[in-house]
Order: sequence, then C-alpha cells, then structure tokens
Amino acid sequence: MTQDLAGRQTTAGASAAGEAPAAEVPAAEVPAAGDAPVAADATPERASRRFGLLSWLRWGWRQLTSMRTALVLLFLLALASILGSVLPQEGIDPAAVSQYYAAHPALAPFLARLSGFDVFGAPWFAAIYLLLFASLAGCVLPRTYRLARSARQPPPKAPRYLGRLPQAAGFRASGGPDQALHAAAALLRRRRFRIRTGDDWVSAEKGYLHEVGNLLFHVALLGLLVSVALGGLFGYKANKLLVEGQTFANTPVGLDAFHPGRLVSAGDLQPFSITLSKFTARYITSGAQRGQPSWYGASIRYNSRYNGPLRSYDVQVNHPLIVDGVEVFLIGHGYAPVFKVTDASGAVRFDQAVPFIPVEQSGLTSAGVVKVPDSQPRQLGFAGVFLPTQIDVAGRLASAFPAPDYPRVSLVSYAGNLGLNSGQPQSVYTLNTSHMRRLAVTPRPLAPGQSIVLPNRLGKLTFTGYRQWVSLAITYDPGQLPALISALTALAGLVLSFLVRRRRLFVRAFPASEAGEDGAGRTATSVEIGGLTRSDAAGGFETEFAELASDIMQQVRGGAAAPGQAAADAAAVGARRFSSQGE
Amino acid sequence: MTRLHRSAHRAAGVVPAMRGLLAAAAVLAAASCSGGAIAQSTPLSNPQSFVSGSYSSTYYAPGSRPAAPRFRGTTLTGAKFSLAAQRGRLVVLNFWGSWCAPCRREAPVLAALATHFKSSPVAFVGDDVQDSPPSAQAFERTFGISYPSLNDPGEQVALAFHGAVPPVGIPTALLIDRTGHIAGRIVGEVSYRGLRTLITRILAAPS
Repeated sequence: MTQDLAGRQTTAGASAAGEAPAAEVPAAEVPAAGDAPVAADATPERASRRFGLLSWLRWGWRQLTSMRTALVLLFLLALASILGSVLPQEGIDPAAVSQYYAAHPALAPFLARLSGFDVFGAPWFAAIYLLLFASLAGCVLPRTYRLARSARQPPPKAPRYLGRLPQAAGFRASGGPDQALHAAAALLRRRRFRIRTGDDWVSAEKGYLHEVGNLLFHVALLGLLVSVALGGLFGYKANKLLVEGQTFANTPVGLDAFHPGRLVSAGDLQPFSITLSKFTARYITSGAQRGQPSWYGASIRYNSRYNGPLRSYDVQVNHPLIVDGVEVFLIGHGYAPVFKVTDASGAVRFDQAVPFIPVEQSGLTSAGVVKVPDSQPRQLGFAGVFLPTQIDVAGRLASAFPAPDYPRVSLVSYAGNLGLNSGQPQSVYTLNTSHMRRLAVTPRPLAPGQSIVLPNRLGKLTFTGYRQWVSLAITYDPGQLPALISALTALAGLVLSFLVRRRRLFVRAFPASEAGEDGAGRTATSVEIGGLTRSDAAGGFETEFAELASDIMQQVRGGAAAPGQAAADAAAVGARRFSSQGE
Repeated sequence: MTRLHRSAHRAAGVVPAMRGLLAAAAVLAAASCSGGAIAQSTPLSNPQSFVSGSYSSTYYAPGSRPAAPRFRGTTLTGAKFSLAAQRGRLVVLNFWGSWCAPCRREAPVLAALATHFKSSPVAFVGDDVQDSPPSAQAFERTFGISYPSLNDPGEQVALAFHGAVPPVGIPTALLIDRTGHIAGRIVGEVSYRGLRTLITRILAAPS
C-alpha cells in the first residue's frame, strides 16, 4: 500500500519535474502553475530552464551541507595542513624555501605555481576552508531551527494501537474511562511530563533537555566557527628579540616579525612598550642534568600607551605578560656580546650589542655575525661564536656550561662590501662574504676587553662585554575566549543529549463491559499504556516504563487495591502484550 | 604583493618567526612539567628570513589631514627636539636605522634633498630606530647627512603616531605641514623625484 502510494507519488513528481511546462495542456487545466499563467505559453523553455537551475542549486546546496561533504572537506583541510608542514613555507621560513629551490630545481617552480610554499594563503586552501564553513553553517543553522521547534512542540497524538509500541502494558479498572484518564494525566503531570489530552487518550512526553543539549551543541559549534574566524580576522602574532636595557614598541616598526590577521592594520596594534631590565637563568650545576635550566625569568618594565605610566612585571615560562588583551610570552633567550669598532684614527664606527643565536643547548654555544657597514676605509664583517664557559676540547673551542662563567668570543674577520648599500635587505644573522676578503688574522678566543687589531689600517674590534636577550612571542587572539566558551558549551550540550533521553508515554482508556463473577454488569474501564523512547543510549527505559505503568495503575485504581495486590497486578500487566488488540 | 603589513624590514624576525612559535608552543607545553625549561629556537638555518614591504606614496589633501602628535625627544648628538618648535615649516620625518639596507640606499637621496630645500621652510629630521648612537652617527658620516636625527631605539616616536598615521615599516617618511598636520606619507625607500614632488606639492597647497 505504502509502496504503491510512494510509487505513484514518485511518478507524479517525475512528471511534474520533467515535463513541467506541459505546453500541450491548456493553462486552465493547470491551476497549480499559479506563478506563470501568462508566461507559460510564451516561454515554456525558459520556465523549464529556471526550474532546472533552481533544482540544481537546491541539489548542490543539499550536497554541500551534507555530513559526508563536511567530513570530506575536513579531511582535505587536514591533508592540506600536512602539505603545509611538510613543504617549507614562505611566510615562516623563506630560507628553507630557497634551499628547497636549490635542492629540487625542477619540482620547486611547479609546486610554487600550486602555492605549495604558501599553502595557508593559497586560493584553494581558502576555498576548502570557506566551503567547510558554508557546509557546517548550512548544516547547523537549519538543524538549530528544527531542534528549537521540536523542543517547543507539544507531545504528538496517541497512536491508535498502543500494543504495537516497543513498550506496552494494560489493565482493567473500575470506574469510567474519563476518570481513569484524568488520574493518569494527573500522575504524569506530577512526574514532570508534558501532557496533551484527547477524547480517549493522554499523551505525555518528557526529556526535552535532550533537545536542549542538542541545540546547545549545535549553537556552540557555530560559535566555535565564528570565534576561529574572529581570531583569524582581528588577531595577530608577532615576535621580538629584546636585549637587556633595550625597549621596543608594539608597532610594525618595532617588531621583528609580524603576522597580522586579514583585517588588522598597523593602527590596530595595542600601543604598549616593553623594556627588558634583566634576564635571569639558573642552571643545574651538578649531576646528570648539569647544564639543564632550572628557572628563567625576565624582569620588564612596560606601559600600555605612549608616555604612559611604567609598571614592572616578571615574565616567566607559562606566566606571560597580559597587556590590553595581548599575551607576551617568553620563548627563548641567549647572549648578545657587545662590540666596539674604531677606525685607524680612533673614531668609533660601531658600538652595540649583537644578538648571537644558540646552536646547542648544553653549553649555549652561540653563533652570530657582526656587520660594520660604516667603518672606513672598508666595510667590515665578522662571523664567529660566543662561548659562555669556554673550554678546549682537543684543540677545538667549546662551551662547557650555559652560564657565563668564562665568556669568550672567537671571530673570523672580513673586509670588503657587505652588500647592504644596494638596498637589498638581508638577515642580520648571516654574512654574505661573496664580495668580502677574509683577513689574515688568526682567530683566537677574546676575553671581555680584548681586541682584534686588523691589518692594513682597517681598524680595531673590541669585545667590550655581553648582555642577555630574550625572544618574546606576542599574540592577540580575540577569538580565544569565545572559542573556549563555545567548546565547553558544546561539550556540555553533548553530554546532556547523551544522558537525557526523550521518552513518550501514551494512555488510552475505553469502557469495558465486565461481567463480574457474580454475573452483574459493572462500569469498568480497560486502560492501555504504551511507551517509546527516541534514543535510548543510556538504556533503562524499560524499567522506567514498568514503574510508571504500575504507578498509573495504582493511581487509576485509586489505591483501592492492597499494595501487594497492586504489585502482583503490575507484574502481570507488564508482561502482557496486546498483540491481537489491533485486529 | 600585499605584504605591506609585514613590513618590519629588519631581518631579525629570524629568531622566532612562526616556526619558533610552534616550537615554543610545544616547548611551553613540555616546560610546564619539567620545571620551567624553555628551548632555544635556532634561526641560524634561516639565512634570509625577511619580508620586504612595497612602496607606497600618499598625499593628504588640506582639510583631511590628521593632526601629528606633539612628540619630543633627544637627537643623536644629545640636543632637544620637539615638533612644536618646527611650527611654520614643513617637517620631513624619516624613520630609519643604520642596519636597514633600503635606508642605506635612500640616504644619499635624503641628503641631496635636504640640501635642495635648504632655503625653503622645510626641516628634515630622522628618527633612528632599533639602533645605537655610535653606529647611527657613523652612518651619518658615511652619507654626509647634516640634518638631525632623534635617538629612538625603542620606537617611541613611531608609537606616538599610533592614533594618527602609524609608520608601517622601515623606512617610512611622514610629511608634516606647517600647521602640524600629516600631509603625506611614503612607505619604503624614497626616490629623489617622488619625495621632491610631494614636498613641492605640500608647500604649494594652502594649509
């Protein structure tokens, strides 16, 4: 029957969709085609095409917002992220990209065309992300609406044959059906069921919290998406290497690396300044862990605007400075030896701390370069190492301990053209010696205060001392808190929807002419109870139903029966099935 | 192409760029259970980490010129400088550093234009950021820069412009008209013609 009906409906639908214009049918015979009675005759093809386009669009939207599409997109996003972490990325490590070009001259240009070195900025990456966003939003929004409606809906009408429900029971009671239904409804209402009544039935539903949980989960999921988008649009990340005694301002001019969100401009940065007063590191001095750090801290002074009042703070690991909602983390440290370069006449050409970068952890051996672009008569360059605790290992220099117990610097000297005046920016950590000549000075470890005197009146370099530096990670993510709240809400909603099940209970009562044992007719009522639950993940509905059925029976019988009797009846009732009732 | 926003011209970004951050995240996570260790990022493998800014020149018409902040400071030679004292002159404020390659290439242009406008009501002033006075003064000797520069290693003058027209990279030149309003901005290396045209235009316009 149903199949037959469905089949006919499908045929009807197909004819409506496929041959909709029905040019041969007079317009009067198609009252349903209300929107195009005039155009129907004139442009049947256009009408057909428009219908086609609409249904195609609808089909496309349905595909896009399906769970399967969302999963596929999520998987693609993960794949792209893997690609982005396997291939070197332009915005993160341009040097590695150029190395990749050198190593794979044939493959690299091809990958570059596919945005392989800028995966997270690639149009196809944006496409995946936006499609996923649309897919999730398109799935979640209508669902949210439906869930909200379903949560407000009254219980449905009681089905005709309660015996066909998964849980069913029945009993007889004296008194009229109305009385029985009334008693049942009162009991169910007391048990916090939502009640709907009909002529000869009561329908009750409970567990709307299940829907509320579901709703919370979906809304929170949307909130999560929006939060992530907020962070991506209005947040930024930056880095700064700061030497003791130095100050920097949170402007693009003061930062070393700046990765702004799509809608962030220079004027949006919170205008704070930070001065590094002192950095302290303690190391384990004995045992197997000798040289391992035991504590770090950076004493800073900061203000939150130009010329604002200065405050002090100690930035430590997992203890960032938070200023105007921006977090400033301590992520690294090292040494910056101070060099002074004078020319042959004794005039100072360079005097500053130069950050050297640690190349190993156990002794903090640090490498760096010194560029002196304004020395005379030639530009000078130096490359070498800073050794906090210098030792000799078979004629090679090494550092035995990260603390500066015996600080030494060893440099190789160059003279010539640094390449800086060409305007081509270069890293402050590397020396391009292609237009420089190595000077005939034997490198030897310099103690603070010692100098290298360069040949040919090129000048003199003095290692005057050292300071420490810290590297700071500056992050601003306005979506962080909303994302956390959304995630927690989603979790709560999920738990709620798992723990609470929605269950329905129906009671029908009709008069039953009961021939008593004495043969006299009495008013009696036959009561049927049916129950079902939509999702019984937690289980236990069967027990709840049995208890409710027994309670209803007691209530209806007005507590007339003795408790023992009622229990026995209930047991009998619970086991009974109305398998033939429907016929 | 549209990387203006990343125009911290200094290559120092090397150290902790994004990779550093990721490493740091991992490290911070690890650190919480190992008594406070932070690892070193080793940017040495990063020979050319640096993002170049693109050139842009902006002219603000009279009436739509943001007021310049009343900044003051000390020059590299120790003299006092305040913008207020320059009232009546067009101020060309250039943000630079001796380590910055584009600044080195534009320096001769600025020196020449400072000479060119010597008899005009134009004041050139530099703002030396992320630098040390001895190195900066050696730079000035190299290029024959005669105009003063503020000693601003902590970028405080740049910060003062935060609410108005913030410099977005090094070098940036801001042109402040005779009434103390920002009339022009050049991001990136200036050219002789470009800067001269902008100065002439601002001098000619009523302000």
